[in-house]
Amino acid sequence: MKKYVYLLACLLGCTACFDENPKSQLTEDEAFSTNTDLYLNTVVTLYNYIGGTTDSEGLQGTYRGVYDYNTFTTDEALVPTRGVDWYDGGFWQGLYLHEWTADDTALYNTWSYLYKVVVLCNQSIARLEQHASLLTDCEKLVSQGEVRAIRALFYYYLLDMFGNIPLCVSQDVALPDVKQSFRSEVFRFVVKELQEVLPYLPESMSQLTDYYYGRITRPVAWFLLMKLALNAEIYADDNWTDGVQLEGKNIFFTVDGQQLNAWQTVQAYGRLLTAFGYRLETDYTRNFARDNESSMENIFVIPMDKMLYATVFKNIFRSLHYNHGSALSRYQENGSCATVSTVRAYGYATPQEDSRFALNFFSDTVRVDGKLIYLDNGRPLVYSPLEAKLDLSGSPYEKTAGARMSKYAIDRTAYSDGQLQNNDIVLFRYADVLLMMAEAKIRNGEDGSAELNQVRARVGMGARPATLDNVLQERLLELMWEGWRRQDLIRFRRFTAAYDERPQLPGESSGYTTVFPIPNKARELNKNLKQHTGYK
Amino acid sequence: METQFKTTVCGFLLAAAVPAAAQRLTDQLPKDSVYRQINVSPTDKITQERMNKGLVTNPLDALSGQVAGVSVTSGSSNPTAMLNSVRVRGTTSLTGGNDPLVMIDGVSSDLATLSSIYPADIESFAILKNASETAQFGSRGAAGVIQVTTKKGRGGQFHISYDGNAGFQRVYRNMEMLDASQYIATAQRLGVDYNNGGCSSDFPAFVTRTGFIQNHHLAFSGGNEASHYRASIGYMDNNTVVKTNDYQNFVAKLDLSQRAFDDRLTVDMGVFGSSQSNHELFDEQRLFYSAASQNPTITTGKNASGGWTKNSTASQIEHPAPLLELKDDVKYLNFNTHLRLKFQLLRDLSLSLFGSYSYTSQENAQFCPTWVWAQGQAYRGEQKSEDWLGNVSVDYGHRWGAHQLDVLLLGEYQKQRKTAFWTLVKGFTTNLFGYHNLGAGSLRPYGGTGSSYEAPSLGSVLGSVSYTLLDRYKLTVSTRADASSMVGDNNRWGVFPSASAEWDLKAERALQDVSWLSQLRLRAGYGLSGNLGGISSYYSMQLMQQNGVVSAFGAPVVTMSTIRNVNPDLKWETRGTFNVGTEWGFFDNRLVLTTDYYYSKTTDMLYEYDVPVPPFAYNKLLANIGSMSNSGLEIGLSVTPLRKKDMELNVNINFAWQKNKLISLSGDYNGTAMTAANVSPIGSLNGAGFHGGNNNIVYQIVGQPLGVFYLPHCTGLQQEADGSYTYAIADLNEDGVISLDDGGDRYVAGQATPKLMLGSNIGFRYKNIDVSLQMNGAFGHKIYNGTSLTYMNMASFPAYNVMKEAPARNIQDQTATDYWLENGNYLNFDYLTVGWNVPVRSKYISSLRLSCSVNNLGTITGYSGLTPMINSHVVNNTLGIDDKRSYPVYRSYSVGFSIQF
Repeated sequence: MKKYVYLLACLLGCTACFDENPKSQLTEDEAFSTNTDLYLNTVVTLYNYIGGTTDSEGLQGTYRGVYDYNTFTTDEALVPTRGVDWYDGGFWQGLYLHEWTADDTALYNTWSYLYKVVVLCNQSIARLEQHASLLTDCEKLVSQGEVRAIRALFYYYLLDMFGNIPLCVSQDVALPDVKQSFRSEVFRFVVKELQEVLPYLPESMSQLTDYYYGRITRPVAWFLLMKLALNAEIYADDNWTDGVQLEGKNIFFTVDGQQLNAWQTVQAYGRLLTAFGYRLETDYTRNFARDNESSMENIFVIPMDKMLYATVFKNIFRSLHYNHGSALSRYQENGSCATVSTVRAYGYATPQEDSRFALNFFSDTVRVDGKLIYLDNGRPLVYSPLEAKLDLSGSPYEKTAGARMSKYAIDRTAYSDGQLQNNDIVLFRYADVLLMMAEAKIRNGEDGSAELNQVRARVGMGARPATLDNVLQERLLELMWEGWRRQDLIRFRRFTAAYDERPQLPGESSGYTTVFPIPNKARELNKNLKQHTGYK
Repeated sequence: METQFKTTVCGFLLAAAVPAAAQRLTDQLPKDSVYRQINVSPTDKITQERMNKGLVTNPLDALSGQVAGVSVTSGSSNPTAMLNSVRVRGTTSLTGGNDPLVMIDGVSSDLATLSSIYPADIESFAILKNASETAQFGSRGAAGVIQVTTKKGRGGQFHISYDGNAGFQRVYRNMEMLDASQYIATAQRLGVDYNNGGCSSDFPAFVTRTGFIQNHHLAFSGGNEASHYRASIGYMDNNTVVKTNDYQNFVAKLDLSQRAFDDRLTVDMGVFGSSQSNHELFDEQRLFYSAASQNPTITTGKNASGGWTKNSTASQIEHPAPLLELKDDVKYLNFNTHLRLKFQLLRDLSLSLFGSYSYTSQENAQFCPTWVWAQGQAYRGEQKSEDWLGNVSVDYGHRWGAHQLDVLLLGEYQKQRKTAFWTLVKGFTTNLFGYHNLGAGSLRPYGGTGSSYEAPSLGSVLGSVSYTLLDRYKLTVSTRADASSMVGDNNRWGVFPSASAEWDLKAERALQDVSWLSQLRLRAGYGLSGNLGGISSYYSMQLMQQNGVVSAFGAPVVTMSTIRNVNPDLKWETRGTFNVGTEWGFFDNRLVLTTDYYYSKTTDMLYEYDVPVPPFAYNKLLANIGSMSNSGLEIGLSVTPLRKKDMELNVNINFAWQKNKLISLSGDYNGTAMTAANVSPIGSLNGAGFHGGNNNIVYQIVGQPLGVFYLPHCTGLQQEADGSYTYAIADLNEDGVISLDDGGDRYVAGQATPKLMLGSNIGFRYKNIDVSLQMNGAFGHKIYNGTSLTYMNMASFPAYNVMKEAPARNIQDQTATDYWLENGNYLNFDYLTVGWNVPVRSKYISSLRLSCSVNNLGTITGYSGLTPMINSHVVNNTLGIDDKRSYPVYRSYSVGFSIQF
């Protein structure tokens, strides 16, 4: 039958009748036809995935993704249930109480997002290989090097959140071969990749609106290597529920031909960053200002420009009270706030109140342009930081409890209710480098007080002895709501303990909640994937 | 035929001779169609006299409830919703292509174009449901075919006719929320902090008005033996009961026919154009949600500072007045033309050449003023589609002795070109421009401006052979091969054969003398059809398009990427349908009974399957894997208990039982076993407190009908320490923990689509007065009353207003359980029309008719919500869920006038 059909079609002169000639999309050959196109569409294209526009996509700025899983699961922030607002099926309470499950859609979406970028990186590497004729050898190494660095960045988040995960390094991997590697293998791979590509990465500051704005430059990779070394005890541990871990002193890295332990490695890369010219800005708020692009403290940012980019930033948008938003002529969602233990850590309302409390949070009576903000009942808006709790429904403070985010300067020219603003979102910054140095020194038996107190002095706070506890406290005060708290609590073995309002879960002392479960949907689709101990 | 046409031309005359059901389509279809005349079951054919009367503003209105197995959502819901709601024998595909094909005088078209035709221009509808009937339309007809025949001029006389109607619409049921005094009293009793705006406003009523409708239609026709023409123009104006929601439509139509060369050549030409202008509601749910739950003490007007007051703590709603200022305007332009040349080559052999061109454009214009959206937003967009279709067919029909042979060969090629562009602008300092000055906006965000181009093509060859013996036994075999540019290169052609047989038992000698039996036929058929509704151009090609804008070399640059997993092996989704039917006529066809049973199975079903990331980059892949079945029984009954010169009573009733089952969503893709989730949510609740967590209501579950309620079970209300009530939830899986997760304590609590649909019409005539009553019903399905779940939740009070009963019931919980799952059964009285055919003795006036109608008289239902007539047919995120989209229920009163010269 088919033969006759073809014959008839040919008779009708229709052999080319069914060809598509796309005019609004490109074929691969067209998209990779010149040296520049190849570079843009294999390397630069990947930077679209650092920030995000939809839930669970982007490293920060959106909802229910990497940032939320690293922030609202800790003692620094919570989204209280406020009557009918923010219950959302118990999602936010679940994060705070560590009651997440392998069925959580947001967790699966986060997994899909992170791996999507990994797979797109693998595809880019293959395409650079395929179209190598358009490139010089050097250009190929530089381009592939940058893609490998982006892939390493995403594997870093994956291994941090999910532990033992599949390590796919080529686009040709078939499903049966997608099997979990141990966390330590992924960890070693990421370190090796970053170290290998360092020479090809541009020696340039990424936060400046320059040729390499927002890109993974050499300092960004150094920072990432610091994080990897700092958390080496956790990342080198393939069985985190057995209570046995290697010590950082016994985990070694090769840096510039030298064999260094984890703590020495942190310091080595930290020194490189200092030498490169990064420094603390005299004004803490400079880093989060509307025009923070020239900050010499920020190392890696998500470029934001409301006129140019689509990437959103919802962190302030979801925090301020509705009427606070109205006063700023925008909508706000009246959600997230600081926990009471965080507020107390700042010494709120005591003579010793840390100066950074007011820099990070709105509290008590707030004003916009010097004017009070009024609630519908005619009374002025007063945020009550000490009334924050997980479920505020029915409380007189239902809508007003909790200190609200003010870390980033409010961009009065922002669009989309402040979600499209000009403040670049800070992912890595130099204050963190100093605190990592301090911590590494202490852990290595050295004195870390210089770095610790440099950070404190900048905000006018007195010196403190360099102890591990003080470093953790300082990290909370300095790096408030910057997405590091979960990792810090885990490294300091505090994440699974009861804190603030949160009780310890049954069996949590084993440490099983220090990694998230492999999403069940991912396991349904790939039977090779095994669930971590402690999760169903 | 000639005489019959005259009696129906002015529209609303009841056919006097035989009940509608007893007429056969073959007598009615114009002989000039290239498509083969098809013997559809007579109940599946709607001639003028069977079309709905009452206030018909849209051809789909005329069809509603008249054919078993065809669902058209009508009645109280938003008129725009109707366009997307037509289903023939339910949903057969998960991804698309569920809208039936519309053929208007042989030109392929769509529901949007059909809705723009003036109902009085339509002579008849035929609904083709069985694969053997739709076979000749190939993939386009996979979801059934609505064949529309419009009126043509006939030789001889010259006619002018006018018909028109006018009427008004009144809301008769709306949400019953606390009024201002009750609101204040409740807040004071509970001792909660509330805002008193000092007014007493009825917001649900505030957004409504008295609707006004008028339709006018003028037609001319005439000609002679060799040529004839018909021209008509029509105007429809519908101002609905909701403020700012209205529709206007202007249509013009011209058909010409000429015979030449001793009738060896017949030329037909037709032109149709329409211009439709709609003012839609920008966000129906938000408007009605806001109207219902706004604080009733706040004024409906502006406050002292010139703005509108809202309860700022009620973040999910707005003051309804500025919501009415949102603009969502759509302008449709339609132009269709076709030309047909038919050559009678030999006595038995004819050749037809047919070509058609159609152009449609849709212009969207939206404006969100700064009162509602900070900084405002305006959008303009236009989609254009051009469609060229040409076909060649050879028709051979020969009769010798007791044998008749008919052969049809057809080759067809269709090319479309779809282009679009759009711009979205933000940042307005004034609301005065609306969407008329996009340059006044300061921001054109990335992604807001774009354009697109698609040019798919479809080609087909069809061969059909039909053999009839003794005018009694008929066997038809046909095969159609379709090729589309959209499927993978290796799967370009799909071959879809079908066969059907028909037996006219009444013609058998044994039955010829049985006087009480006037008709008896048996029909059976089996056929395959292909569907590509789930695919768009380029889906099977590895293409790159922009994925965002990033900084490179110190400047923003738009980069390209693949944006989905590509499946180069996409192929036709195939549906096989078996049907068997009977037609019975008793007592000179005063009782006609038709039965049809069908079973269809969709295989290679297109669906966006979940795929593992890694190795895939994206977690969805469109592929042909799953399968689904549909089966049903349709019974049509037409009775004429009374037929006298002065008096006649006709009762038509049709029943359609439908059963759907999602058989499988797993299979094999390139050697990789793929499984879609066995349980995936389709519809959920929206609004305050319902953001992304256990608020899914309707699911798609393998092994179940498409669209089932999968809910936690509520064992009753439990009293809390503070005296309030919450929903007690059963631990269905008995693991000691209550889990609202998809895999947790949920069960299948019912289906969203009706098991039985009913349509019934009672027509009575006494002398020149006639009365017609239409009833439609649906049974066996459920509705989730998310509106009551939300408005009954005292925890949302006083930020949100609640229903009148809410304070007494004191429920402080809005967990979605089966507590608010209700039976959706209803019987709706669609319209009652009384008409008078005025006896005129005039040289010029050949007929005159006056009529008056009431549409949507009332509904019998146990459902506690506003109306059970929500979306119970179309599988989308609103299926089966009544969720604050409470378009008020209204009744229409109208008078009609028609005159023919």
